[in-house]
Amino acid sequence: MTSSRRIGASFRDPSGFLFSRGGILFRQVNHNYRPSYDLLVSSGLQEELVEGGWLIPHEVVKEPPADETLASLVLRPEPIAFVSYPYEWCFSQLKDAALLTLAIQERALGRGLTLKDSSAYNIQFHQGRPVLIDSLSFEPWTEGEPWVAYRQFCRHFLAPLALMARVDIRIGDLLRIHIDGLPLDLTSHLLPGKTRLQPGLLAHIHLHAASQRRYAGTAPEAASKSRMSLNAMRGLVDSLKSTVGGLDWAPGGTDWADYEQEHNYSAAALESKRRLVAGYIDRIRPKSTWDLGANVGTFSRLAAEAGSTTIAFDLDPSAVEVHYRRCRERGEKNVLPLRLDLSNPSPAQGWAHGERMSLAERGPADVVMALALIHHLAIANNVPLSMVAETLASYGRWLILEFVPKSDSQVQRLLSSRKDIFTDYTLEGVQEAFRRSHSIRAMDRVKDSERVLFLMEKRQET
Amino acid sequence: MPDPGLMSILGRGILTAPPAYLDPGSGSFLLQLLLAGILGGLFVLRTQWAKVKGFFQRIFTRGGRKPDEHDQ
Repeated sequence: MTSSRRIGASFRDPSGFLFSRGGILFRQVNHNYRPSYDLLVSSGLQEELVEGGWLIPHEVVKEPPADETLASLVLRPEPIAFVSYPYEWCFSQLKDAALLTLAIQERALGRGLTLKDSSAYNIQFHQGRPVLIDSLSFEPWTEGEPWVAYRQFCRHFLAPLALMARVDIRIGDLLRIHIDGLPLDLTSHLLPGKTRLQPGLLAHIHLHAASQRRYAGTAPEAASKSRMSLNAMRGLVDSLKSTVGGLDWAPGGTDWADYEQEHNYSAAALESKRRLVAGYIDRIRPKSTWDLGANVGTFSRLAAEAGSTTIAFDLDPSAVEVHYRRCRERGEKNVLPLRLDLSNPSPAQGWAHGERMSLAERGPADVVMALALIHHLAIANNVPLSMVAETLASYGRWLILEFVPKSDSQVQRLLSSRKDIFTDYTLEGVQEAFRRSHSIRAMDRVKDSERVLFLMEKRQET
Repeated sequence: MPDPGLMSILGRGILTAPPAYLDPGSGSFLLQLLLAGILGGLFVLRTQWAKVKGFFQRIFTRGGRKPDEHDQ
């Protein structure tokens, strides 16, 4: 039998775990969870959530389990094309994931169940929409019991959303450090005092943080004999829903629909670049594309339209926000916009570096697009061209690269405040640096501009 | 509302939840219990108000209003 490998992120919940065998992902359901799983199915909740596109579909398979002694069932979930993490999402992606979690909790309560966890990592973007991927997140709800996952919801969703909306969008980056969500005392401390006047934030962040301080180390039964009625549970979810719904963030404080950064292109140059990129994509027909520095996804869309699963990364939270909202409006299934700082990409982290995968672990893609990006890496970040080439080769077999010369206004802007020490940053210098790791398959000048596009293929020995 | 039959099974303890693996946090548990009355009350008021509004909407709007796809 092919050997199986337990997935590093799946170990905290004794209900079961994920394992991979022969490149296929399976979920083992343990004996102790079987009654809850059966209730999920017999209550009709599973069918309702799957039909709504809220829960990832899975089938029960006869595959041997990874751990015979614990196993009751083996499930085969529908695969997710690209696993992403909350610290890579824009504001609206996190908000949509939060609202989905609450909507699922509402439906679960309606059928006598509750979510036993509400981790943001249980939500993934699948075919353009957020979806719950953990079928083992449900348990029967006993009337009187508070929501066991309330604290987790506030830490994973409400706290970062409140800080991003009310303080600074960049605070979302704290999710990368605090992988079990943001501490509520820290959130309460960072939020402006006036947020205490908003009932939702007052209750779920400020009073919540105070309650945690006040009752630390106390057994709940000893402190209260109250019970949580079904109406109170529904009221809690309702209150969280309106608090999350009331948090908003507009990129740059402007109308997001106007957000574009293609200022220095003429219409002819833009059209020429579009034709060249589309031609390269048609030539290599990639199944997966990573568009690095995708901005609002003008070129990601070319890959997506050619049927390629496209991950559109950008450093700028505003660009990712605008791109995501556009994809959501269009019902785009093939593009996933994500936030990423290429100079410090998502690392492998969590327990034993195994819980959250690094960017590189989630690759390689068939093609990497690096359009109007190289000057940011080589000049703004001082990365030697040969290192840019090597890294891009590790991310994908094919590379569509745009060279932006020093005469371009974008590069001039980067050089305006510093000494030009980049003597090899020329068309010839780039070709020489990339030839060590890539074979150049095509090279075309973008019309009405000094920019040059390359189609390159990674060398076998790299 | 949950199925009454199902709730009676749960109530008799035939099918109970396995012990939670997540630490709910004492402060988080108690805050919910503290707020339970207010949250429950507001929820009842809101749903009753929606019913009253729906009643008058049905009277004054021919054919009534179709519920929102994402109404929960």
